[in-house]
Amino acid sequence: MKKEIDQAIVMENVVKEFKVLNRHEGLRGSIRDLFSRDYRTVTAVDNISISIPGGQIVGYLGPNGAGKSTTIKMMTGVLEPTSGNLIVNGCVPYKNRTKNCENIGVVFGQRSQLWWSLPLIESFRLLKDIYLIPDRQYDEMMKLYSDLVDLEPLLHKTVRQMSLGQRTLSDILAAFLHDPKIVFLDEPTIGLDVSMKAKIRDLIKELNRMKQTTVILTTHDMGDVDALCERIVIIDHGRMIYDNDIDHLKSYFGSYRILKVRLPGDIWEETVIDESKTDVMSVISDYQKKGKLLDIKLEEISTEEVIKKIYENETNERKKISGIDKSRDNTGIAV
Amino acid sequence: MNARKYLALTRAGIIQELQFRMGTFITVLGNLIYLTLVYFLWRSIYASSPTPVVNGMTFNDTIIYLVLATALFNFLEMYLVWNISRKIQSGEIVMDLLKPMSYRKLMFFTFFGDNITTFFLTFLPTFIVVFILTKGAIPVGTNLIWFVISVGGALLVNYFIDFFVSTISLYTESTWGINIVKESIVLLFSGATIPLVFFPEKLRVVVKCLPFRCIYDTPLNILLQKDGYTPGSGMWTMLGLQLVWCVALCALTGIFWNFSVRRITVNGG
Repeated sequence: MKKEIDQAIVMENVVKEFKVLNRHEGLRGSIRDLFSRDYRTVTAVDNISISIPGGQIVGYLGPNGAGKSTTIKMMTGVLEPTSGNLIVNGCVPYKNRTKNCENIGVVFGQRSQLWWSLPLIESFRLLKDIYLIPDRQYDEMMKLYSDLVDLEPLLHKTVRQMSLGQRTLSDILAAFLHDPKIVFLDEPTIGLDVSMKAKIRDLIKELNRMKQTTVILTTHDMGDVDALCERIVIIDHGRMIYDNDIDHLKSYFGSYRILKVRLPGDIWEETVIDESKTDVMSVISDYQKKGKLLDIKLEEISTEEVIKKIYENETNERKKISGIDKSRDNTGIAV
Repeated sequence: MNARKYLALTRAGIIQELQFRMGTFITVLGNLIYLTLVYFLWRSIYASSPTPVVNGMTFNDTIIYLVLATALFNFLEMYLVWNISRKIQSGEIVMDLLKPMSYRKLMFFTFFGDNITTFFLTFLPTFIVVFILTKGAIPVGTNLIWFVISVGGALLVNYFIDFFVSTISLYTESTWGINIVKESIVLLFSGATIPLVFFPEKLRVVVKCLPFRCIYDTPLNILLQKDGYTPGSGMWTMLGLQLVWCVALCALTGIFWNFSVRRITVNGG
């Protein structure tokens, strides 16, 4: 099934400011705060423009407090932008919150939309009625779900008896149940074990493929990004600092590769190769001139490192990049 | 609007409430303790009175009234303010705002399931026990129909008052105090703890102009066929008054909530 609207989300110069009370410390300060009119303005989202076509999986990344959740809340209609235009599925979300909600699904990794003390099947039936899903469509969806995951043991379990992984899985199924045009996943894999993460990634990927659902995914797990996202948007301090696909991301600081060579005496030596300056072959021949090489490994730089670099770089106010190898030592993660 | 989604919510509310049936037994136990207290309190009030009829009510009248008021309280009280304020504090309210229906309806129909469950589990048994024990002190006739209609009105008025107070908690974030004040005011001015005829004349005039009386005073006196609440003597005025308050409070809470939610969506929360 193809969705008619080709642009699922259009944001133009969207700004969101919050008024925050300047709190004072101590008992006296707290009492003063009771009558305080001393507000300051915090800009959570600063002039962001993106348009997301239907059917895409977009990774929406940024360090903690960058403004990701605020953006998602604006897209879902829970928050109203301070200025700028925001169109979701062809309508303005905060003006038509109820109508907008019919066409979106949301999973917040830390919360659940399911009914805590009811078996999952009851939650599904309830959602079927709330979203007025026709019987046929509901049955098709349930059939699809049981093809994709081992649904039967989950259905008759109450949500409070579920493990975190089962609950997240159920929440994702619930979000897709009414076949929404857009699904927002806010840190869906937070706190899950490796195999559950893989399961959930497969599920999201399959549902996106079969239902052509647009998926907006925020995460801190680069595994999610690598597995799912065709496109990546990175924001920090409310500002957009990157918007492109994942391949371009790897060359964001130029194209880097890591060459590991094993020298006689079983010593591994690592070199980071900046491909704009030199190339792998010439580095290898340099080694060969010095002595015998026992083994060679060539590795791509991981998304995780690039993202980390981008975050750090943004904080350092675009300080000169002083060699990507430095950040490698800090991560301590084998590539 | 489509009734299907609202019925589904109510159904889920009933199932959910039934899961916590232990709570019902505890409620009944608590009632017994409370009613024992009420019994001895009013017995000494009547003992100190020179006549067996005080303000047009005998001791039996008063006790029947208060027992039924307690049963009605269990049935009407949904602790909506606690629930909504907890949702606001934890941020869980976001999940509710993402449902394709108005928050007021979502909450009403969810808690309506509770109402139905407690009606059958606590109100009806209490009513039957009181009816048998007092051997005909409760008149049986068309007043039962008017009583049920009036309870419907009471339910709505009570819900709107609760929803109004819950909306205030969007601003204050801490709601314990507000909720205690609300409960005290409602229980006192609605005639749930003391029948309104016992109020001093001047206070009674004021209380009769407030919406709270629609919750306990009106339905109970219609049930007990008190003077001024019978079809011949002003029952229609009382039911009309309930209707007027329902409409007025419905409009008021709607405006207040929409205004407040807009403020929250503008300033964040």
